[in-house]
Amino acid sequence: MKKNSLNTHVTLAAAGALLVAFAGSRAGAQQEARVSAIRDDATRIVVVEQLSLAKEHGVPTEPLLSKALEGVAKKASSASIRTAMDNLQKRLRKANDLLAPSASVDEVSAGADALYVGVHDKTLRQMRQAAPRRSIAVELGVLTELVARKVPEAKASKMVLDLMARGATGAQLTALNSAVQNDVAAGLTPEAALDRHGRGILSLLPPPPGVTNGNPRPR
Amino acid sequence: MNEIDASVPLRAKRGEEQAFIEIVDFYYPRCLRFARNMLQNDQDAEEAVQDAFVRVHNSFPRFREDARFDPWLFRILANRCRTLLSRGRRHRSLIEYGEVPVTAAAAQEDYGADWAEEVRVVLDSLPAEQKEAFLLRHVEDLSYEDISALTGVRLSALRMRVKRACDTLRARLTEVGQHDR
Amino acid sequence: MIDERDELIERVAQALSPLPPKNARATAQILAAVRANRTRAPGRFALVFEWLRQPTFSVSSAGLLAAAALVIGFVTRGALSTLDQPLSVEASTSAALNAPAITATNAASDVNAVRAVPVEITFDAASAKSVSIVGDFNNWDAAVAPLTRFGSNGPWTVTVKVMPGRHLYAFVVDGKLVVDPRAPHTRDLDFGGDASVLMVNTP
Repeated sequence: MKKNSLNTHVTLAAAGALLVAFAGSRAGAQQEARVSAIRDDATRIVVVEQLSLAKEHGVPTEPLLSKALEGVAKKASSASIRTAMDNLQKRLRKANDLLAPSASVDEVSAGADALYVGVHDKTLRQMRQAAPRRSIAVELGVLTELVARKVPEAKASKMVLDLMARGATGAQLTALNSAVQNDVAAGLTPEAALDRHGRGILSLLPPPPGVTNGNPRPR
Repeated sequence: MNEIDASVPLRAKRGEEQAFIEIVDFYYPRCLRFARNMLQNDQDAEEAVQDAFVRVHNSFPRFREDARFDPWLFRILANRCRTLLSRGRRHRSLIEYGEVPVTAAAAQEDYGADWAEEVRVVLDSLPAEQKEAFLLRHVEDLSYEDISALTGVRLSALRMRVKRACDTLRARLTEVGQHDR
Repeated sequence: MIDERDELIERVAQALSPLPPKNARATAQILAAVRANRTRAPGRFALVFEWLRQPTFSVSSAGLLAAAALVIGFVTRGALSTLDQPLSVEASTSAALNAPAITATNAASDVNAVRAVPVEITFDAASAKSVSIVGDFNNWDAAVAPLTRFGSNGPWTVTVKVMPGRHLYAFVVDGKLVVDPRAPHTRDLDFGGDASVLMVNTP
């Protein structure tokens, strides 16, 4: 019992040291304050370890801390929080790689969520290629929702990529998501709903670059 | 026409939030009906109504205690509808791009709504000022005096607008109306 | 001038006269918009926020919410000024759906150029004593975004700033986490239960 207590104190001291290391910036100081506010010692240690690991791997720490605090809000055990953070960390690393070289924190987080529901690695890469210089967090979010609502991954990914290629706005994509959900609620299959509304939005968009509506120009 | 108790707008003018809630609750259906008829687009209509109520709330300090509330509210709402109309019409039926009928009931409603649809088509073809005058007079049941107060248009001109709207509706709907009987 | 209200005009008026039903959700949105305008300094304010319009799912916390009709509103409004001045409305989901497509170059030119947008949240819970919204946009901290009540019996409202994208959230009603019965849900495989889904668009 005493040994356990000693171990806890040693680990807490280490956690405290890591926290100090985090607090180098304003964001770091805010994170430190949030971590310090976690009352359960075991959870606090888990969180500090996970954040430290994320830093080592160049993975954004904000989504991880948010996940931990979600667990705290839901009164989850430290073991559950460790597992959740560990799994998220893996997805964040993967998303970070797939969305390189210019992914924002929100994109990496959205990419990790997309992977969580079963979006394929390849799709994330293609989405980044389709929009290398702007945030695709909304597009990733819409794709995640579509797949989460049982639209087949291949169909959903193709539609989102097609819409991106045609210059669809984020608003058009979120409207698509909403319309699909409404139709599914009305009894349509997710696939038919996506097809119906996806085609509708595509019809409003200009043709992809290099494609004309009429006959090809003579050379 | 059914008007809210005159004390309610006065309470709202004094900043009583509950009174404003009563106003929104009471007038929302009528306002939405007018906006839908004017704009022929549910989303635009909801936007116009929401904007109008926010403006009503913000403009209460300027609401004269001896004035009637209905014309004042409709003045603000009509302004919002005009602004949205001038901003350009949205594609009227986005839903139409999918050919899949969502429910059989929807198809039946379409059949039963033929006359109403014809009315809307003709109404939509009217110049905005004629449509507005017609709706305020014959659907919202406002008096010409009230309409004149809220639009700032002289009575004789208003009567002419309503007459022209009626003439067009008669000319274009007579055939449909006969078939529909 | 003839009396213009003949039989045909009567039928026209009747066709145009059915009143739409009262709509508690729309009312809540209007009240939220009023509150947002009152508490915000004049200036352009735009958000685009799409929402499922016809919820079909069950309420997992039905017991707590039995006496609470819950509405989450979304507001897309420009700054309000004088009575007759046109209102600036940046865009709404529906408007943007109809707008001509823009190319990627019109959007943010940098993945980090995106900014959080204000989202108006409305919750109608007559018997609640306190309501907060928690989610991945505020670190699930109930102290960050408490809702305040409009009037004595009005809905609870708050404006939260949220980055564009998909977010998970819940309400804390009198200390208990509840999902939003009017929003899409997703299973929370990490900690169990459901979470509500919020999609926020780029302004």
